[in-house]
Amino acid sequence: MSTIREWFEDRTGIKTLLKFALDEPVHGGAKWSYIFGSGLVFLFILQAVTGIVMAAYYSPSSTAAWGSVYYIQHKTSFGWFVRGLHHFGSSAMMILALVHMFQVFIFGAYKKPRELNWISGVILLLFLAGFGLTGYLLPWDQKGYWATQVATNIMGTIPVIGKYIKIIHQGGADYGNFTITRFYTLHVFLLPLSLVFFLFIHIALFRKHGVTPYWKMSEEIVKNRVDPFWPDQVYKDVVFAIGMYAALAGWVFWNKGAELNSPADPASNYLARPEWYFLFLFQLLKYCQGNLLIVGTVIIPALSVIFLFVLPFIDRNASRYPAKRIPFFGAVFSGLAGVIALTALAIHHDRHDIHIIHQQEVAEKQTARAIRLAARGIPPQGGLSIFLNDPVFLGEKIFKESCNGCHMVRGEGGETAPDFTNFGSREWVSGLLKDPKGKKYFKESGAMPPVKQPDESLLDMTEFLLSQSGDLSSTNTDRLERGKELVFKGNCVICHPIGDKDAKKVAPNLTGYLSVEWLKAFIKNPSDPKFYGARNKMPGFDKLSERELDALIQYLLSLSKDRVLVSEREEGNKKRKYVFGQTAPRTIKAFKSKT
Amino acid sequence: MEDSKTENTSRRRFLKIASHAIGGTLAAGVVAPVVGLAVHPWLKDTVYGTEDFINVGKLDDFPVGIPKKMTITSSKMDAWNLFEGLVMGSVWVVRKEDNSLNVFSTNCPHLGCGINWGEDVKQFLCPCHEGVFDINGRRISGPAPRDMYSFETKVENNTVLISYKRVI
Repeated sequence: MSTIREWFEDRTGIKTLLKFALDEPVHGGAKWSYIFGSGLVFLFILQAVTGIVMAAYYSPSSTAAWGSVYYIQHKTSFGWFVRGLHHFGSSAMMILALVHMFQVFIFGAYKKPRELNWISGVILLLFLAGFGLTGYLLPWDQKGYWATQVATNIMGTIPVIGKYIKIIHQGGADYGNFTITRFYTLHVFLLPLSLVFFLFIHIALFRKHGVTPYWKMSEEIVKNRVDPFWPDQVYKDVVFAIGMYAALAGWVFWNKGAELNSPADPASNYLARPEWYFLFLFQLLKYCQGNLLIVGTVIIPALSVIFLFVLPFIDRNASRYPAKRIPFFGAVFSGLAGVIALTALAIHHDRHDIHIIHQQEVAEKQTARAIRLAARGIPPQGGLSIFLNDPVFLGEKIFKESCNGCHMVRGEGGETAPDFTNFGSREWVSGLLKDPKGKKYFKESGAMPPVKQPDESLLDMTEFLLSQSGDLSSTNTDRLERGKELVFKGNCVICHPIGDKDAKKVAPNLTGYLSVEWLKAFIKNPSDPKFYGARNKMPGFDKLSERELDALIQYLLSLSKDRVLVSEREEGNKKRKYVFGQTAPRTIKAFKSKT
Repeated sequence: MEDSKTENTSRRRFLKIASHAIGGTLAAGVVAPVVGLAVHPWLKDTVYGTEDFINVGKLDDFPVGIPKKMTITSSKMDAWNLFEGLVMGSVWVVRKEDNSLNVFSTNCPHLGCGINWGEDVKQFLCPCHEGVFDINGRRISGPAPRDMYSFETKVENNTVLISYKRVI
């Protein structure tokens, strides 16, 4: 073994090189306060490794990006974890970079002769922000798409050259394939290469000038106490790295990985919010209105960055004692306080604005639906197309356009007609029997007297009425039998025909009550004598196409947790039939033999 | 002085071992999920047809004793995408006297070239390296190491169904 090692060392000198590259004297002794820089190097390697393996699955195009990230997140074994590490790792890097920078500032480590160490560090921090910005868009989900829109529009506010900067980043006048290929190129080629280049300079300069110990440490100790980097400082660095990795991995587990929103929809009014470490800039823009916009987008950020660049040249006092650098401490820490205050304001505002909370709920629901639909396979037209064939999605759209004005759902919509929250569920129907003239149901226009029976009997009757639709997710046969008896022997059948679907009486025909067929006929023409007849107040919707009507009914059924959707029933059947659990219609084409 | 030196040496020996151990654990902790993700195609099918048996037409459409070339069209899962009506490949369908079917891959078992039917010689001919097979797919001459690949087939309600898997 040692002869092989010697042979190799003889020919390559690798051991000497490694020793030179990795070992150095640490003047004043190894310290826990020096762990942040190497911690950042570890996190950068982690980002690189997780990023590279994800690049083997990711596809940078506006039609494929969302699908490929969905695949990483939901179809691979460790994808969610690796992506989570990468996502939260960027936040960890940002936090650690700021800690590192503030430590350097407090220790006065940017002072002569280390000005260029500091400047290369500021450049690295800007690259880090660039990574965050470009990476956010790559999943092509709602969150990334809309937040990045804001960022590119901010680029556009730069005087004179703004328009050109925006177009070169977007790859055109609007978002599309070139936006994603450009952000991808920046994120995986240009930024990493530039970062490695400046990191090399940063570390080389650090090696040249050595550590900057605590300001109170005497010159004598700094000169005389010299620890080797390996193992004294390395030990502290790896302990910190493993602690950080454990915390990060724990965070990823706790959050069940990084979020993937529903696919980017250019037509939606999604609420754009940047990643948390950009929130202060976002909040700042709220105060810069009209002509002042440029103050928030360009002037304040540019001045801050310029201040950081020139800091080592304006703080020329040789002393590193904080007491002697009060103006600079004041400037830097009031800047930090401002950033923290703006971030806190942004978070506080979002947590207390009911509209924002509501929009977030809608987005979460949409996301959950997108993830379910994508499992069947995403059409080649792109992530958003999963919704095109989803009846519930289309139905909800139709409902919002045509029905929501009178029928309220979950607190939203008009109050003229019955509230459709939980529509068609056992709870809804039994509530209707109990109090048809109630606020939730027909109000004063209700003609039916309340059914004076105990709640249990109302549930029995409900069970029978709903069982006719055949799409209850479960049925209680005892209840059904009792309910059937109550309905037929009670007063119901005096007004309501039941059993013959074309029979007409004073009140609506309850044959197949709330089934797909019943709802279809009802929605088309509620004034039909077999429904409300002359007493009807609801407009008929016979203009809807069959497909739209089906979709609307699927949406209505989806409001109830007791009912099973047609699409879900089909899914269940196919799962038994096909090995791969896919639902694709057969398409067959036969070609004549050419020979 | 001597004491502190030996103390330092043994302390550093411990630090070296500890650094290796912690560093190794850390590296393993990072590499494990990354490798787990990287080998995903070993663990799960990523590209596959979604139908077990593909309809290629009515039994009556196939003449007895004359091979007919059929294009296989099905829907295909390709990682996250579902492609409908995609051409997957083609097969030779041979209907025998007793109405049973032989279905062969059009890819030669030698190196995958497309096999033709020579109507004049009543044999399957591979143009690349002159492979020759009889109507039952058996190798007659040429470099092919085996008979033609065949697919499982069934007939239901006069409909021919083929279990098509790409073999080369």
